[in-house]
Amino acid sequence: MVKTLISILIALGLLIGISIFQMIHIEREFADFSAQLEALYDKTEAQTATREDAEAVRVSWNEKKKTMHIWVPHTDISYVDYWLSEGLSLIDTKQYDQALSKIEVLIDICRKIPSSYSFSVENVL
Amino acid sequence: MGLLFCIFFSSLAKDKRMALIFIRTVIIYVTLLLIMRLMGKRQIGEMQPFEFVITLLIAELACIPMADISIPLLYGIVAIVSIYLLHQIVCLIDLYCKPLKYLISGKPSVVINRNGIDEYQLKKNSLDVSDLMESLRTAGYFSLSSVEYALYEASGSFSALPKAGYEEEQTSVPLVIIDGGEYDEKNIKLTGMPLSFFENVLKKQGIKKHKKVLVLTLDGTGKIYLQEYGKKRVIFNVQLPEGVAW
Repeated sequence: MVKTLISILIALGLLIGISIFQMIHIEREFADFSAQLEALYDKTEAQTATREDAEAVRVSWNEKKKTMHIWVPHTDISYVDYWLSEGLSLIDTKQYDQALSKIEVLIDICRKIPSSYSFSVENVL
Repeated sequence: MGLLFCIFFSSLAKDKRMALIFIRTVIIYVTLLLIMRLMGKRQIGEMQPFEFVITLLIAELACIPMADISIPLLYGIVAIVSIYLLHQIVCLIDLYCKPLKYLISGKPSVVINRNGIDEYQLKKNSLDVSDLMESLRTAGYFSLSSVEYALYEASGSFSALPKAGYEEEQTSVPLVIIDGGEYDEKNIKLTGMPLSFFENVLKKQGIKKHKKVLVLTLDGTGKIYLQEYGKKRVIFNVQLPEGVAW
């Protein structure tokens, strides 16, 4: 009885702990990345974005990705990778108008991925 | 053996995806082993309904993240730990809360008692007389008249209390002639006797229609087990024609 209760409490604690940590961690990481993308968007809109700016965003994403793989499906991460590569290469070639739409998609993805981990009826069902 | 290991590990080194699957499999295997060990011996032996559900789910939960490397391994582990948590809660209910235990695990059903077959219990468990006969044979009893009591446990296993000296009575395999109000033409042919023989048997017992009979069996010595719907069983002997035996 005591052993079972302890095992229930441990399992429950682990599950609650992991889910809270996951929610906070993902939300924070994507909010941070989203802020970086918005800054890049503003620079791109002003046509002042440089290769270094784009590279800084990529390095930051690559760093976040390392821990993100534990929590987020790898397909979601490769989706961000794909749009980021397209956007950054367009900035590199100074095609700012086209790069804007790619960065906009990325900002949208960064909003949607964390919301898919929140407790809501649509996510449960 | 050593060569096989060399080939295996060198292929792992070349194909990273294969190595990933190998590592993921090891992690899931160790997690499952740990969880099954924590669940206790009951999980390995005869299973209760909730244990069976868990075993089915765990197998599926373990396979998906193991083989699909796009899914984080943590998803599989969290699902398995959740199943473990539910299992432990249900185990506690099973041990300490009798009304809920019956709701979750079910109750044993006594399908044969001193009055014969309990047709209500049979129907309740979605079984018919032939299923019951099969269970009896599996348990080593070939005749309905060999057992005093028989029951299906909550786990689905079959238990029976035999009559004293039942082994001496089991000299011939009884054939089911009427099952649930219907004649079994195949078994009637096997007895080598006409249908009118059985109609006469029913008439002598005061039964006008065979539809009213739940079960009628006949063995090679002429022993008949007869039970009408809603009535007690009757066991008697009839004289079989010369040369008829099996």
